[in-house]
Amino acid sequence: MALTDRVTRTGGLTATPSSSALKRRRRGAETRAGYAFLAPWLLGFLALTAGPMLASLYLAFTNYNLFSAPEWIGLDNFRMLLADPRFAQSAKVTVIYALVGTPVKLVAALAVAMLLNNARRGQGFYRSVFYAPSLIGASVSIAIVWKAMFIDRGIVDQIGQNLGFDAGGWVGNPSMTMPMFVLLATWQFGAPMVIFLAGLKQIPAELYEASSVDGAGPVRKFFSITLPMLSPVLFFNLLLETINSFQVFASAFIISGGTGGPAGSTLFYTLYLYMRGFVDFRMGYASAMAWVLVVVVGLLTLIFFRTSRYWVHYSGEAK
Amino acid sequence: MKRFTLKSMGVAAAAALVLTACSGDADDTDSGEAYDPEAPVTLTFTWWGNDDRAERYNEAIALFEEEHENITVQGTFVDWDGYWTGRSTEAAGRSLPDVMQFDLSYMREYSENQHLLDLSPYMGEQIDVSGFDDALLQSGVIEDAQVGLPTSTNTLALFYNPNLLEQTGVDAPGEDYTWEDFNEFIAAVTDAGEQTPEGEAIYGGGDYTGTFWFFLQWLVQEGKTPFNDDGSFGFTEEDMTTFLELTASLRDAEQVYPVARGIQLLPLGGFTVNESASEISWDNFLAGYVADSGTEDIQMMPVPTGSGGDKAMFFKPSMLLAAGANTDNPEAAATFIDFLLNEPEVGRIFGTSKGVPAVAAQRDAMELEEGSIDATVVEYEEAVADHVTEPVPVPVKGFGSIEAEYKRLAEELAYGSVTVDEFVELWFTEAEMATQ
Repeated sequence: MALTDRVTRTGGLTATPSSSALKRRRRGAETRAGYAFLAPWLLGFLALTAGPMLASLYLAFTNYNLFSAPEWIGLDNFRMLLADPRFAQSAKVTVIYALVGTPVKLVAALAVAMLLNNARRGQGFYRSVFYAPSLIGASVSIAIVWKAMFIDRGIVDQIGQNLGFDAGGWVGNPSMTMPMFVLLATWQFGAPMVIFLAGLKQIPAELYEASSVDGAGPVRKFFSITLPMLSPVLFFNLLLETINSFQVFASAFIISGGTGGPAGSTLFYTLYLYMRGFVDFRMGYASAMAWVLVVVVGLLTLIFFRTSRYWVHYSGEAK
Repeated sequence: MKRFTLKSMGVAAAAALVLTACSGDADDTDSGEAYDPEAPVTLTFTWWGNDDRAERYNEAIALFEEEHENITVQGTFVDWDGYWTGRSTEAAGRSLPDVMQFDLSYMREYSENQHLLDLSPYMGEQIDVSGFDDALLQSGVIEDAQVGLPTSTNTLALFYNPNLLEQTGVDAPGEDYTWEDFNEFIAAVTDAGEQTPEGEAIYGGGDYTGTFWFFLQWLVQEGKTPFNDDGSFGFTEEDMTTFLELTASLRDAEQVYPVARGIQLLPLGGFTVNESASEISWDNFLAGYVADSGTEDIQMMPVPTGSGGDKAMFFKPSMLLAAGANTDNPEAAATFIDFLLNEPEVGRIFGTSKGVPAVAAQRDAMELEEGSIDATVVEYEEAVADHVTEPVPVPVKGFGSIEAEYKRLAEELAYGSVTVDEFVELWFTEAEMATQ
């Protein structure tokens, strides 16, 4: 019925062609086609992201154990969060990781990117080699390998013994797990490295030539040319890596066997959230935690953008 | 990962909301239709365990399908932790499997929310319970509904490794040993200063206060009822402090198996890598211990005697079978449960790997070779029968959570990052939330 209707209407249109109406029609058809092509993603977004996020926002204010209907408790979950020593512990672990891991990883990425930028031959090859850990780094198998390397009598322990330190395995030592995680993150510097490399290639060679004429050394060149010229890329990487560091889950889950141990030293925020939700079945509490994380990451992003005008320079910008 | 977590949590939550909303009236499928035992039926069945157990279940299922050609059983399994995550999600959607291996720890939670089928109408029909001890049968009853039937029983035992004792020159404790004697035993073995062939130090045992069930066993010995019928605790902060202080001197002197090494050995432990001479555990662990440690000679003896002079042990019903309240085929599910409980062949297939079978017909069907693992476990349960004088503590709602919390805190105590007082305070705070 709708089909025949449309056929007669379009038929009518072709009989009396009015160019602006036709254009509008065509634009309308294009819009519809656009939405049609968008539909699979849009449906997925609404059903799998937006809807559940709204549901979890509601659950954050309820007591919900998956078995019985959610019970509205207002802000109680958030009050309990403030009094929960494990929540404080998980926030501490995550913040330390973000504060230490992110800069270390970015420095490593920038250093390697600069080395590669100077390489005359085989750049593609080295770039791939250095990027490889990032491709496999997030996988479950790497966390298992990492654990095997840093365990008692593992390869790291043995090298340490040969060098004269008998520190034992890092995995069982609460004060050594954080360095282990920072190393694991740093090792996966591939993504920021590639972005840095692209940024370095954008810096005009004339700037360096001019500064050489003026007698600037490599250090001066780095701080006066490379760093300012690279600051938009640096900003992008810093933002992305900071957000990433708040989302560590898989490696912590595997290395600690899902407990956040030893002694809570790998109790990353998302791992604790998972434990509350899926081990203790306190979905309301876990939802509250998720929203606290969303707000914190959102605020951090806002702060980054607000402060960026003081240190990020876009070329062509009037100074 | 944040997006993933939010998303997946949200999905589960949304699915839960939607599914509970539309399944409200689907529960009442008790239509007047008579049960046709010949109609083709597919049952879903799930359990936790390792590959070894899966092989045994598959063998049992094949046998069942041979006898009941109209019933197909689809079996799935995962490990313990993943198992309960899966079940809770299914419970939220009222889509639990027809038949499940179940544990006392979670039974009250599921039963109180009407997720488990009351099996009493099928007892005497599809399910033969004549082989059951009354007390054992009662352990599966919650609020007058028979929601679970135990396939086997476990009791606690002290396992020790005679080879290590010989090497360290320490004798195993005598049968009347107390917790104090046990501490001295652990200290003596550790202080002998012997090493394994790989050069690792040999310890007398781990810190046994870190296991919640041992605390319950100790409470029962002290004449306390750990959990009251109304869900409240029959013990106080002082009781827990006293128990945790039992091994304080061993912890201080670093005479118990080091936690840092224990954590790195998971899923093995000090006892199964032959670096620790003793361990208290459930008696059905023997098969696993022998397989993991490669040591044929592992001995069992009863737990230490309490201050009252009794061992006050209990049989813990284990590996219960339960049916989801949402099942469309309760009769077929009951038939399958009956088969797993009573069929002698099933007893032969499993041996004591799930504990000693609850029903005599299955116990007798086990081919007990002199000195075999199964024979040792059965002999052990017969030998300690006189010490088994108490009923098993019936876990309260939220038991799974408070047990997990106890384990986490015990690890922190071993590392010295919490004190005994902090442990007790944190545990009670957590327990109050989990059991409310």
